[in-house]
Amino acid sequence: MSPLDLVRLAFARLRASRVRAALTMLGVIIGVGSVVALVAVGQGATRGITSQLEGLGTNLLTVNPGSFISSGTRGAAGSATNLTIDDAIALARIEGVAAVAPELTTQELVVAGTKNTTTSIVGSSADYSRVHNQTIWQGSFLTRPAADLALRTAVLGATTASDLGLGAEAVGTDISIGGIPFRVIGILQSKGGSGPFNQDDMIIVPLGAVKSHFVSGDSVRSIALSVATAAQMDRVKAAITTELKSRHGLGAADAPDFNVFDQAQLLTTVSSVTGLLTVLLAGIASISLIVGGIGIMNIMLVSVRERTREIGIRKAIGAKSRDILLQFLIEALVLSLVGGFTGILVGLGATAAIGAIAGWGFVFSPATLVVALAFSLAVGVIFGVWPARQAARLDPIAALRYG
Amino acid sequence: MTEPLITLERVSRIYQTGRFEVRALDGIDLTVERGEFLAVVGPSGSGKSTLMHIVGCLDRPTAGRYLLDGTAVEELDDNGLAGVRSRSIGFVFQSYNLLPRTSALDNVAMALAYQGVGRRERLARASASLERLGLGDRMDHEPTELSGGQQQRVAIARALVTEPALLLADEPTGNLDTASGDDVMGILRDLHASGRTVILITHDADVAARADRQVHVRDGRLVA
Repeated sequence: MSPLDLVRLAFARLRASRVRAALTMLGVIIGVGSVVALVAVGQGATRGITSQLEGLGTNLLTVNPGSFISSGTRGAAGSATNLTIDDAIALARIEGVAAVAPELTTQELVVAGTKNTTTSIVGSSADYSRVHNQTIWQGSFLTRPAADLALRTAVLGATTASDLGLGAEAVGTDISIGGIPFRVIGILQSKGGSGPFNQDDMIIVPLGAVKSHFVSGDSVRSIALSVATAAQMDRVKAAITTELKSRHGLGAADAPDFNVFDQAQLLTTVSSVTGLLTVLLAGIASISLIVGGIGIMNIMLVSVRERTREIGIRKAIGAKSRDILLQFLIEALVLSLVGGFTGILVGLGATAAIGAIAGWGFVFSPATLVVALAFSLAVGVIFGVWPARQAARLDPIAALRYG
Repeated sequence: MTEPLITLERVSRIYQTGRFEVRALDGIDLTVERGEFLAVVGPSGSGKSTLMHIVGCLDRPTAGRYLLDGTAVEELDDNGLAGVRSRSIGFVFQSYNLLPRTSALDNVAMALAYQGVGRRERLARASASLERLGLGDRMDHEPTELSGGQQQRVAIARALVTEPALLLADEPTGNLDTASGDDVMGILRDLHASGRTVILITHDADVAARADRQVHVRDGRLVA
């Protein structure tokens, strides 16, 4: 019998027992579908997180204060207030530092006309937009003179602007921040963030303005720096550590009272974690594929038992053992491949649905599909061979007498 | 003259069941000429079924020689036996042995599939074979939609479609009523008349009487 004949025979057989075939395939459908969907979820999540992190700024270093120690009790990291504006000015002189943005954040009630919102007021320098990859949508960003003179000027994040009902025409008008009038000079392009880390929900004003109106003292919450090239990151990081230690009166062997946080490091960590997660998810999903394969094997063994007489008849008529082996193997392969194809469709559907809900769009790699199909093919062969061999080995005389 | 179709020389078949030896066949000598209509007669347990299995190449003799159409069957492996069954032997069984849920046409065509005949030719030859047996209007029927006599005729059509050298009928009338049985015996006689070699295995003396020659099997030996 030609392979085409055997495929035709297998499909006729599946049509003859549709419910059984469908239930058998369900295992493979679920297995392949979940592998495809979960790998896509992993890839989509990685892509989403990576692009959000990159949105924070490229070649970004952030200096945070260490923990505040009071009566021998160590406070949370960042609770100390030992970073100053002078520290920021000193760091700006380090070679390779392209931009410095000291930051001091406070929460204030903002009122524009009849609308109001409470949001983060970030006091910073004119370099802030460069360090954090911010682009302006309307108007302009903080200028150097405005920042130096602590003018009451404000740049609104996209979400804040829309919360306050302000559009392009708002540039040049005044809003009230914590009861103090500020001139809106620009509105930022949306970065597409959401939730508690929404980079669009804030107002950027000169650091000096925050100092004079909201938070007194000399310290800043953190210092963000942009390094000129990625290759200089490690050197600049070391230089920052040395400089700040000497400014804070610490010896080279002392533990620093601050942290230098590296964006690229975070990215590497996050992508290795999400990569691991993807492998883990795919691993769990492939267990269901194996279970599906066992389902196929089970039903094929039952089928061989039920069709013992048919095997005897075929052998008496001239079928060689190989003909019988191929007949049952191809039946198992058709089951697993039809299940695999259906599973891919189900998986792609799930991928599209999850992508739409999570907001990272439709991420899928053709490699996943190839792997999924190869897997279902392998399941068919691995779990189909044994029943097929059982069938092929039957003695024709005994098989004819069976049942 | 031409050599015989079948030559059995001192053929034995011994089954080993535990510590016991069962001699199902014990030194059978038998020659069947081309075109003969032979009946192998014997009660159940006599060894006639074992003889049919060996003559039909479903089994190999434990000892002795078996020449079928010039081929030394005892030297063949399983694949070789399957090839001989496919090319040279047509089986007709007591219980018809048609594939369930499969049309008469596909049942008959299946025999040609194992010879590697293409699908189109298979179907053409299968329908010709069914028409010769008067089943031209039953080709699409499945076995359960046919009477016993009709099923046995489908089985004969399947046995003949490969144009085998030997038609081997094992109690072909055993499951049939008298009229259908006569009908099937008539078909076998017609086939013999048209030159085909037919071997009939039966326990029924009346059925055996319709063959040209009878051999009797008793306890694994041929008796006069």
